[in-house]
Amino acid sequence: MTEAFLLSFKLAALTSLTLLVLGVPLAYALVFKRVPARALVEAVFLMPLTLPPTVLGYYLLILLAPEGFLGRLGFDWAFRFEGIWLASVIFSLPFALTAYREAFQAVEPEVLEVSRTLGLGTLRRWRRVILPWIWPGLLSGTLLAFAHTLGEFGVVLMVGGNLPGETRVASIYIFDLVQALEFEQAARAALVFVALSFVMVLTVRTLEVRWRSITGSSAR
Amino acid sequence: MEIDYRLERPLNLHARLRVEGLTALLGESGSGKTSLLRALAGLIRARGRPFGGLRPEQRRVGYLPQGYALVPHMTALENVALPLRGPGAGRTARRWLERVELDHLADRRPHELSGGERQRVALARALALEPRLLLLDEPTSALDAATRETTIDLIDRIVTEVGLPTLLVTHDRYVAARSRSLAVLEHGAVRQQGPPDEVFARPATLGIARLVGFANVFSGRVAGHEADGVWIETEGLRVFAPTGAPPPPGRTVHWGIRPEEVMIVRPDRPLSSPLARNRLAVVVRRLVKKGLAYAVRVEGALVLEVLLPRHVQDRLRLREGDRIEVALKPTYVHLFSSEGFSS
Repeated sequence: MTEAFLLSFKLAALTSLTLLVLGVPLAYALVFKRVPARALVEAVFLMPLTLPPTVLGYYLLILLAPEGFLGRLGFDWAFRFEGIWLASVIFSLPFALTAYREAFQAVEPEVLEVSRTLGLGTLRRWRRVILPWIWPGLLSGTLLAFAHTLGEFGVVLMVGGNLPGETRVASIYIFDLVQALEFEQAARAALVFVALSFVMVLTVRTLEVRWRSITGSSAR
Repeated sequence: MEIDYRLERPLNLHARLRVEGLTALLGESGSGKTSLLRALAGLIRARGRPFGGLRPEQRRVGYLPQGYALVPHMTALENVALPLRGPGAGRTARRWLERVELDHLADRRPHELSGGERQRVALARALALEPRLLLLDEPTSALDAATRETTIDLIDRIVTEVGLPTLLVTHDRYVAARSRSLAVLEHGAVRQQGPPDEVFARPATLGIARLVGFANVFSGRVAGHEADGVWIETEGLRVFAPTGAPPPPGRTVHWGIRPEEVMIVRPDRPLSSPLARNRLAVVVRRLVKKGLAYAVRVEGALVLEVLLPRHVQDRLRLREGDRIEVALKPTYVHLFSSEGFSS
């Protein structure tokens, strides 16, 4: 069980970090820059929300197989940790992106303009105005992506299969236990998930509430 | 400070004006007032002097937008310290907060401040930049009447003390009247600039007349000359208007008088000779309260709007339907220059 949970954490941590690096510039561009065919771009990034995990997994498997398009380019990642990492990034992108975008949308363009007139260059503007304004949103988006990755099943199973220590994450481990009728062990693992989910959602909510009290935006 | 700016977007505008002390820029909504301020702050593209081609960071131009644009996660003090650097920043920021009489609220965040207080924090922040020019976009539009008065007083006092050229944009003519110099933006250019009294009494164009509350404007024909003015015939009525540059006889001209400056003739008091000239019998058609004064519409050879102070109405007790006589004292009759109507 420990091995499966450690693998899940490793996957979730790497995935949410990747999303932070990719998602923040992307969200910034979507909010503040002119993006051609914005609706189309957004639809593509948000599509994993509605796509069945098995469908997404199927296409990734085809692409990452040794004979697949990406496989032949050297990304021979099917049934490997790298494969489920890529799948998780794509699958959790909508969650992170939505949260990041909301964080940037709260930033008033007028405040950024005025800070320019006050002599703040790009670096100071980010450090003193933008980052302190958006970090709760970034953190909650990243936590959501982390939690979502911990819990995913379909995509990971399709792309990674069920290799202990390589691709068998905790959610698949539970599935295995139930298949093998080992309910007692499955119950313990499931309980760990319940505790984890609760703590993370509580953290996200607390962050939101505290932030609203600082900036004075109305609490929902 | 002499300003000469040309904008192409979002509208065509060529503004030339002088900013000295507290200068107001009056214009209808959509006339480009805000765009001009944003161009001066370097936030939209424009050509002109001064600061042309400089980025906003390099201009040292203080800009207060209508929403004040305070940073929500910073306290009042931190906001004021935003343009400052170095070890003395905190102390300097506190001094500016004292200057706007808000040092007791230094640790409040913007959402814990009233509109007027936010405005003063934003003002202190812009001043902390030690700007070369201060731009204020409708600084009183979101404030109640009492706060509006104290805010304008404070702005006027500080920019006068600091000796800071300040351009205040407004569509409120009461605010405009408080400035040292008033410029009026109309049809993409500054059409008139001068002391507010002069612009209010002698608007250059019909559009400016409307903006400054010059409600009675008529056209007539020049019917005769005298040494110090002309007689104008309008609807069979002859009105004397003083002018140093009399238009030729027969020319169609525009003239007008402010509602505050139309006088009601009291039958019990003899009139001095200049008032004896421009008199007209009228009927009171409409009488409504306007603040503490009364807006009266009278109708005779002309339809005139008259603003009656309460103490006058208390004595006269006018009612709709009353037959009275009004006088247009020549000093207050304004003859528009013909150029004002060519455009």
